[in-house]
Amino acid sequence: MADPSLKTKWSRHSAWADILTASPSDAARPCGVNVVAREGLGVAGIQAQRGRKAALSALVKMRYGLELPTTPRAVRDAAHAFVWAGPGQWLLVAEQKESFAELSELAAVSDQSDGRAALRLSGPNVRDMLAKGCMIDLHPAAFPSGAAAMTSIAHIGVHLWRVDEQPYDRPAIFDILVARSMAASFWSWASASAAEYN
Amino acid sequence: MANATQPFRLPQIGLVDRNAPLTFRFDGQALSGFRGDTLASALLANGARLIGRSFKYHRPRGLLTAGPEEPNGLVELRTGARREPNTRATVAELYDGLEATSQNRWPSLGFDLLSINALFAPALMAGFYYKTFMWPASFWERLYEPAIRRAAGLGRAANAEDPDTYEKAFAFCDILVIGGGPAGLSAALAAGRAGARVILCDDDFALGGRLLSERREIDGLPASQWLARTIAELESFPDIRVMRRTTIFGVYDHGVYGALERVADHVMAPAPHQPRQRAWRIVAKRAILAAGAIERPTVFGGNDTPGVMLAGAVRTYVNRFGVAPGREAAIFTAGDDGWNTARDLAAAGVKIVAVVDSREQVDPNLRTLCEGFGAPLYAGASVFGASGGKSLRRLAIREANGSVRTLACDLLTVSNGWNPTIHLASHQGHRPVWNAAIHAFVAGDLPDGMRVAGSAAGRFSLREALLDGAQLGAEAAQDCGLATKQSAPAPATDPEAVAVAPVSRVAGSRGKAFVDYQNDVTDRDIELAAQEGFRSVEHLKRYTTLGMATDQGKTSNLAGLAIMAELTGKTIAETGVTMFRPPYAPVAIGALAGHHRGQDFRPVRLAPTHQWSKELGAVFVESGLWRRAQYYPQPGENDWLTTVNRETLAVRGGVGVCDVSTLGKIDIQGADALTLLERVYINNWSNLPIGKARYGVMLREDGFVMDDGTASRLGETHFLMTTTTANAVKIMQHLEFCLQVLWPTLDVQIASVSEQWAQMAIAGPRSRDLLRAVIDEEHDISDDAFPYLAARMVSVGGGVEARLFRVSFSGERAYELAVPAGYGDALARALMAAGRPFGVTPYGLEAMGVMRIEKGHVAGGELNGQTTARDLGLARMMSGRKDFIGRVMAGRPALVEPDRPILAGFKPVDRAQRLRAGAHFLGLGRSADLDNDEGYMTSVAYSPNLGHWIGLGLIKRGAERIGERVRAYDPVRNGDVEVEICNALFLDVEGARLRG
Amino acid sequence: MRLPCPHCGTRDVQEFTYLGDANVKRPGADEMSEAAMTRYVYERDNPAGRQREYWHHSSGCHAWIVVTRDTRTHRIESAEPAKPLVQS
Repeated sequence: MADPSLKTKWSRHSAWADILTASPSDAARPCGVNVVAREGLGVAGIQAQRGRKAALSALVKMRYGLELPTTPRAVRDAAHAFVWAGPGQWLLVAEQKESFAELSELAAVSDQSDGRAALRLSGPNVRDMLAKGCMIDLHPAAFPSGAAAMTSIAHIGVHLWRVDEQPYDRPAIFDILVARSMAASFWSWASASAAEYN
Repeated sequence: MANATQPFRLPQIGLVDRNAPLTFRFDGQALSGFRGDTLASALLANGARLIGRSFKYHRPRGLLTAGPEEPNGLVELRTGARREPNTRATVAELYDGLEATSQNRWPSLGFDLLSINALFAPALMAGFYYKTFMWPASFWERLYEPAIRRAAGLGRAANAEDPDTYEKAFAFCDILVIGGGPAGLSAALAAGRAGARVILCDDDFALGGRLLSERREIDGLPASQWLARTIAELESFPDIRVMRRTTIFGVYDHGVYGALERVADHVMAPAPHQPRQRAWRIVAKRAILAAGAIERPTVFGGNDTPGVMLAGAVRTYVNRFGVAPGREAAIFTAGDDGWNTARDLAAAGVKIVAVVDSREQVDPNLRTLCEGFGAPLYAGASVFGASGGKSLRRLAIREANGSVRTLACDLLTVSNGWNPTIHLASHQGHRPVWNAAIHAFVAGDLPDGMRVAGSAAGRFSLREALLDGAQLGAEAAQDCGLATKQSAPAPATDPEAVAVAPVSRVAGSRGKAFVDYQNDVTDRDIELAAQEGFRSVEHLKRYTTLGMATDQGKTSNLAGLAIMAELTGKTIAETGVTMFRPPYAPVAIGALAGHHRGQDFRPVRLAPTHQWSKELGAVFVESGLWRRAQYYPQPGENDWLTTVNRETLAVRGGVGVCDVSTLGKIDIQGADALTLLERVYINNWSNLPIGKARYGVMLREDGFVMDDGTASRLGETHFLMTTTTANAVKIMQHLEFCLQVLWPTLDVQIASVSEQWAQMAIAGPRSRDLLRAVIDEEHDISDDAFPYLAARMVSVGGGVEARLFRVSFSGERAYELAVPAGYGDALARALMAAGRPFGVTPYGLEAMGVMRIEKGHVAGGELNGQTTARDLGLARMMSGRKDFIGRVMAGRPALVEPDRPILAGFKPVDRAQRLRAGAHFLGLGRSADLDNDEGYMTSVAYSPNLGHWIGLGLIKRGAERIGERVRAYDPVRNGDVEVEICNALFLDVEGARLRG
Repeated sequence: MRLPCPHCGTRDVQEFTYLGDANVKRPGADEMSEAAMTRYVYERDNPAGRQREYWHHSSGCHAWIVVTRDTRTHRIESAEPAKPLVQS
């Protein structure tokens, strides 16, 4: 599926439009939590066809140079991430929208680029903020670099993974995806939870 | 020792910050205290002894304790919207500007008209609710209950909305240490040194537990030095979280602990963006319960007189807060510990007027101590009466030889031993066990992963607390797979004596002797319960309300059990104990709700066109989690029906557009995709060609309809299923069950694509004309190329991928057009722009409902989990050539019974009358009782096309009764309308409009 | 409560949806009858003790799992994927 925005004059609305408002930056005061909306991603759900998991793994290795994870982890390079999304299932997150057609030989591919709203969360208080809704342990001992999880935050389903390669005692960086329709509710929780650190 | 404003403040003693004076108000009177005070200590420093009135008898009450177990010192804290009743003055940290009000008094604390209750006390004995108010029953609601509630209130809640915010939070650790006293601190230290992730919680604002209240030495130095060093080390570990002002209130399965952190209860108002309180859910591999012990009162006449206090609490007021709770103190003790209070009071300059030790044999060293005070010692004696009304004045003492003497004093310290604080150990249903050696219940079986240390384990000495903590902390770390280093030798402590021979109650008391102060339960009430046969602990508790107040009997349970044991000639072990349940201390509902209140009560889902609808002035309605446009009022339209009529007529007369993105959409791929559809739907799918959609119905395995929708064949092995909005999540879960559990060998991959696609319905005779203007030219949508039930990929707006389905819910020529959700807004705007020449009208859920009822299409009202396909007139869809979920059970006799209510249409006989969903059908002239019930109305609408109300409903043998008249009876809304049964298809019976 | 998802690790029970007895088996085509279906749909043991039960990790990996739990103590003996681990 080629990116249709190349031809159309229709404007594509960000999932965060009308929701995420830039906070007045106060350079003198460092923020405890930094939030970046990740726009224009290509996201696809990938499920191996019956008996094709190994072949799919080999194809991904060849095409993307990445090893499909078989446990809850995110495997990534600068352009792509394959995030475990259940047994035999992955989420392919591309920095830019692109065609995933060649994977459909071996897998059911469903475009989710418009169905997910993505944020990148960082800052010294990012774990404190996430702890106000996230029911899993994000301590580096339990959730090291590359760890991924599907869980819920404030009753909203999320897919999150740790993207930094920071040493043990440095603040982590998380990518997080939520359903597009819930972006406003998620932001209501996130902004309230981060407010005391910013 | 007097101080101008705080006459009972002791100079140079205590941990309060004398450089940080604070002002506060109690019942409107301005008073002062210091940072580090509690409201209780500050009140005592100011000489306030009368703090409140009791719940039932309105007796004057003062402070009994200095901690969270306080039964008497309940006040309303703060004012206005922040007013909070029943807060314990003993744990309310003083802040500048604090306002507190006494409770249960009228018109003033000193002069309380309702204390007349005390004169009628016999009427308020145990069981009085049950006995007095049994008859007549109607008097209960109208007369007794309101009167009792007014008299026996426990403070007033604020009427305004709480202005503060609350949070939930989750934490994980290897070891949770509950209690920051000597045992807890040494446990946390040992575990932390081993590298464990530790959370240490203490409900106080200062760590140290009893060390803050006692004059003790560790390693030859004042305990405060050990304390400071230990806290500093703990706080240096990155993986130790020390949580002050945090109460563990519940223990749950699998190492889950509930905790309440009072983030901003110690300030006037929370800092911006800070919550007032935070409710934590802590997950711990191991827990060490080091919650200390609660001192036991003694039951004797007048033991609730303000000025009668527990001995340990008095030491807390003196040593920690630098407050003398009186000027002339008598000591009433059943053990060695009460003597510590005598010693500390004397050291602080309080006059000791007598020591009453209930033991015949008193250690000679203690006798010598008494001589030092210049006070008489009464050994083998007891206090059997305390009096003075609002403040203690006199004691009646019975000496060992039986002679009685009176003694003047303003403070009586009562020492009767300690009960381990084991509530949390029994939250999982483990009953405490009696330990005769310490005359107390201790934890029996423990929750998985929990150990008990120090006083909480009935090991009351400081030495044992430090030893237990160090050992259990190290063991817990080992359990978590951490190696512990050679443990340092346990610190040495100064000598201590803890012998005690408890007195459950003083025989021959004068005046009321209270067991449960907060619920006003006396020893006589327990006698009455025994006499009337309420002897088991569970009956005793409920009959007398012993231990059922907000303090949950922390100071009273044991005394009650001991008296019952004595009355029934049993041991306390035989008498048993009731179970403790969460919460250990009251938790505000607001804290449990956290962020989830008001607009954030639960997450809201917004459609991709939400902003567009908002700009058009849509009125939104909650539909599950979704906010959907209900209708789009235009200027001058003053009621919803006018708007909905306009929208309905516009669709049927021209074209309308409506967001239907909320429908569930499930992408189904794989070699066996068709097989899955055949097994979950009742109808046939094998002959569905590529590029076509079909309506399908699913049953539950019990034979009832679960959901309906369409599925489209996008490719040989690729389908797109739609579900109703309400069942989207449930159907996905159902299909996952089918594929993972029922038929795991099928090669099918399913994915929810509900969020990916924005979908608009375009309905009405001009719908194709409108679409033609939006869909890219190369796609042929003529009726030949794109007939009813066609489903194909197209593109819009110059290359935006789209899916077009020719399906209709309205009965008109209609289409659904789906685009990636990011283009949903653009699609809606493009449709509006292109539709201007056709008078395109946005319509909402309400008009959609009207049109589907006009066409007899079933929806939520009919798909209610109690209807079969046959009930809904869909029996002919059921394939006889295949197995599908629900097939066998749908054929059960009860589900094919001819008398079952069947779907039919209904019109009011008097066409001007309104119909109501929920009305029950009765035969004409039949009375409104269950035997005559023939079914009910499931959906109604005003049809602007027909000019009257119409309804769908389920009525016995409905299909056979067309033309018959029945009553639609709706007693809730005073409705009783004669209706005619008709075909559930009100409009365009031939379906001509559908195909254009 | 916390349940050990065999795929995701131990998670709060809030993430899961309970279904019930995992010992019942849907009758196959050859044994399909009203009596067999009635047993499958309605008849359940109610053990005070060990029970195998279906849970769906609905806020997580969407796997159906079979948890063996003591109904008296909530102690979890095991949790396994409901879908047999077919060779892939």
